[in-house]
Amino acid sequence: MAAQGLASYFQEPLCIFDLTSPSKRDALVEMVDAICTQHRIKDRDIILEMLLNRESLGSTAIAQGVAFPHGRTLAVRDLSLVFARSPAGVDFDAMDKEPTHLFFLIIAPPQDKDNLYLQVLGQIVNLIKDDAVRERFLAAKDYAELRNVLEQVTA
Amino acid sequence: MTETKDQAKLLVALQDLDHMIKEVQDAKTAAELKDMGFQMDNVGELKNARDKITAQIRPQLLNRYERVSGSYERTVVPVVNELCTGCFAKVPTSFRYEKHAVMTCESCGRILYFI
Repeated sequence: MAAQGLASYFQEPLCIFDLTSPSKRDALVEMVDAICTQHRIKDRDIILEMLLNRESLGSTAIAQGVAFPHGRTLAVRDLSLVFARSPAGVDFDAMDKEPTHLFFLIIAPPQDKDNLYLQVLGQIVNLIKDDAVRERFLAAKDYAELRNVLEQVTA
Repeated sequence: MTETKDQAKLLVALQDLDHMIKEVQDAKTAAELKDMGFQMDNVGELKNARDKITAQIRPQLLNRYERVSGSYERTVVPVVNELCTGCFAKVPTSFRYEKHAVMTCESCGRILYFI
């Protein structure tokens, strides 16, 4: 996947800059609701259950203050990415026990044969390893600022 | 919501879970995810979740799911533009409004999911 392609997965209606839920489940609900509204998906519960099952396998809060809930479900037609910021933080069962402030939720249909979702996931994980990049994502307060960050870090 | 719709949703959830278990057990994918830093140690939790789902599915439907999954990688497939996305055969429009059964493709036998 071309580096510049990554920014195209960040759609404005799927970017939440003030995630309010303090708990893991409610934070996932808030993000999944954004996808269901945007893509007119009727079976929210299926997506939520898949994500909670994935979390039961091991928390996806792997980096400092960052989580990557992800998985495949038949309930979506295309790869969807939700970006979310939680200024207050969410208890997401992170390995370091610290609250999670940044989320990149990625869902793909099972027929994603090129494993695009793993490519997108891997690319974001790599970006976020850089402390300065992570701080810039955390500081983005609206979609214009986020696009600016994306353009610079994927250039 | 009708029982039929619930059963269809349970079959989708079951397939999602089976895909996840398969992904964890696939050495290449699991290595890729572990390299990214993801922990995937609690496979037993997924198997427990699977047991909970299968306990809610009617035995006849579960048998159908297990039988079809022996033939195809994807047992439940979405219907897009009135086509079964497993074999691309035309699906009768009336199937979408069927309230009393979980529908299967007349051509390939896969279970149909109306997105």
